[in-house]
Amino acid sequence: MYVPDYYEFCCGVKTVAGHGTLERIPALLSDMGAQKPLIITDKGVSGAGLVDTVIASMAEALPTCPVEDDVPPDSDLKVVNRLASVYRKHKCDAIIAVGGGSVLDTAKGVNILVSQGADDLMAFTGANALKQKLNPLIAVPTTAGTGSEVTVAAVIADHEAKKKMLFGSPFLLPDAAVIDPRMTLTLPPHITAATAMDAMAHAVEAYTCLSKNPLSDAHALEAIELIRTHIVNVVRNPDDREGRLALATAATLAGIAFSNSTVGMVHTLGHSVGAVCHVPHGTCMAILLPYGLEYNLHKIEEKTAELLFPMAGSEVYATTPPKERATTAIAAIRKLNQDLFDATDGRHFTCFSQVKDPQGRQSITGPDIETIAATALGDGTIFYNPEDLDFEDCMMVLSAAWDGAPLDRSKIKQG
Amino acid sequence: MEDFVEIKPKGKPLKRIYLNLMLWFVGRAIQASAKVDKKVKQEFEDLPKGYNFALGAFPNGPWMVVGKDDDGRVRYLGRNVKDKTIDLWMTLKSVEALFLLFTFQESTPVSNARSRLFVEGDLPHACAVVRIMDIVQVYLLPKFIAKLAIKRYPRWSLKQHIIGRILVNARTLIGY
Repeated sequence: MYVPDYYEFCCGVKTVAGHGTLERIPALLSDMGAQKPLIITDKGVSGAGLVDTVIASMAEALPTCPVEDDVPPDSDLKVVNRLASVYRKHKCDAIIAVGGGSVLDTAKGVNILVSQGADDLMAFTGANALKQKLNPLIAVPTTAGTGSEVTVAAVIADHEAKKKMLFGSPFLLPDAAVIDPRMTLTLPPHITAATAMDAMAHAVEAYTCLSKNPLSDAHALEAIELIRTHIVNVVRNPDDREGRLALATAATLAGIAFSNSTVGMVHTLGHSVGAVCHVPHGTCMAILLPYGLEYNLHKIEEKTAELLFPMAGSEVYATTPPKERATTAIAAIRKLNQDLFDATDGRHFTCFSQVKDPQGRQSITGPDIETIAATALGDGTIFYNPEDLDFEDCMMVLSAAWDGAPLDRSKIKQG
Repeated sequence: MEDFVEIKPKGKPLKRIYLNLMLWFVGRAIQASAKVDKKVKQEFEDLPKGYNFALGAFPNGPWMVVGKDDDGRVRYLGRNVKDKTIDLWMTLKSVEALFLLFTFQESTPVSNARSRLFVEGDLPHACAVVRIMDIVQVYLLPKFIAKLAIKRYPRWSLKQHIIGRILVNARTLIGY
C-alpha cells in the first residue's frame, strides 16, 4: 500500500443510508435549526414521482414545502441565479436537493449565493474561495453515481463561455446525505449503467492519481468491488432493491474517495466533452475510463494491477500473471462496458462515435474534438493526472475514444 | 509567576535567503522566457491584460509576483504582494513546503497533490501558469534536476535546448 509522507482526509457529511431513510429528513432539518426548506429538483425526477415520495415522507412534520423543478441536465449559472431569487422570495432557510449531479451541484451554487448574500456566483469560482459556513443543505441523490452528496466540489456550466466552472471548498459539503434506494428504483437501465460507471471512474481515478492516500484507497477499493458485483444485475433487474442500495452506497464511497484524492485525465477530458458537446457525464466517464488508465500505464502499472482484484475477483487476480494484471484490469473495464451495452440493448455507449443527441445526430463531430482538447487544458483536474497532458495528447486520446480503438501506446510521450 | 525563558521563532534566515534568491531568479526567468519561448509567449497572450500572479509561502512569504501589463508585456514585479492586485495566488502552506519545492525534492504537481500548495483564483489561468513554470524550469535546470520538478521532460531540439537556455539565462541575469 502506498502511504504518502503527508495527506489530508475529510468527510464531514452525516450519511443516513438504507431503506426508509427519507422519513428522517424532518428530524435532520430540526437538528440543523431549519424550518422552511426549498426543494430543488429537475423535471425528470418530479415527473417520476420521486419528489412526491419525499414530500409524503415528510408530510407530518413539514406539511408545505416550496418545490422548484426547473433544473436542466447541465447546471447553469442563469438557473442558479433564478433559484436563488426563489429561495429569497419564499424566505427559506435550508435546501433539500433531490436529484442527480446536476441538481446537487445547482443546489450547492444556490446555497453559495443565498448564504453569502451575493448575486455573482463567478466571484466564488475556483478553489477555497468560500470562507464561511453555508446554510443547511440536505442531499437526496436519485442516481447512484456522482457522489456529489459527499464531495467538496460543484461543477456548474457557463453555457455562454462554453465551459464548466469548478467550485471547490469544504463548505460545499452538504450537511447530510440521505440515501434511500426508493430514489433510484425508477432509474432507466442505461442511466443506471452510465451513472454507476461514473462512480467507477471516481473510484479508479482516486486510486491511481497523484493525490491518493490510504483512507481514500480503502473507500475506492470497496466502491469498485460493490459496483462490479451489482451493476449488471441491477441493469437487468431494475427492481433489485438490495442491489440499488449497494450501488448507491458504492457511489457515496467513491464520492468520499475522490473528494479526498481528486481525479485525473478521465475527468479532465470528460468535463470538456460535457461542456462542449453536452454529452452526459456518466457516458463520458464510461467511455474514457479505460483510455485514462492506458495513457498513464507506464506511471501507474502497479496501482492498476492492484485494481484487478476488486475489478474481477480473487480467482482472476490469482490466476493472472503479475505482469498482465494491469492490462487485464483495463480489459475488464472494457468488458464491463460491453456487458452493459448488451444489457441495455445498445443504449450504454462504449465509444463517442455511438453517442447521438435526442434528434439522432452525432453528438461529437471532428471539429469538436479540437475544441474539447483546448478546453481540457484549463481543467483543474489535469494537475492530479500522473502523466503530463498537452493538446496533442488530448487529441490522440479523444480520437481513439471516438473510434473505440485501444490507445497505440507507442505514441504516448514519455520523459 | 515563575521566571521563564521567552523563545522567539528564529525565522529560518538561511532558508529565506535561499528562497528569496530562487524566487527572484525564477520571476525574472519567467519574464525572459516570455520573450524567448513561443509556448510561454502564447500562454501569456491567453491571459488577460493586467493579470498578476503570486507564488510564495503562507503567511509572510517570501513571494514573487509576475504580471502582464496593459501593453501585454510580461514583467517580474518583485516580492511585495501588499501594494498589488493579485488575480492568482499560488500559496505554499509554509516556508518548509516552499523549500521542498525549490530544492526540487518535490514537484509542483506532487506539492499540490499533498495539499501543500493552494491555488486561489481562476483554475484555467492557474493551469497556464503551471505550464509556464514547467517550461521555465526546463530552461533553468539541468535535465536530471528538471525531471524531478516536472511530470514529463519535453523533447526539444538541441537548438532549442542550447540557444533557448543561453537566451533565457542571459536575459534573466540582465533583467531584460
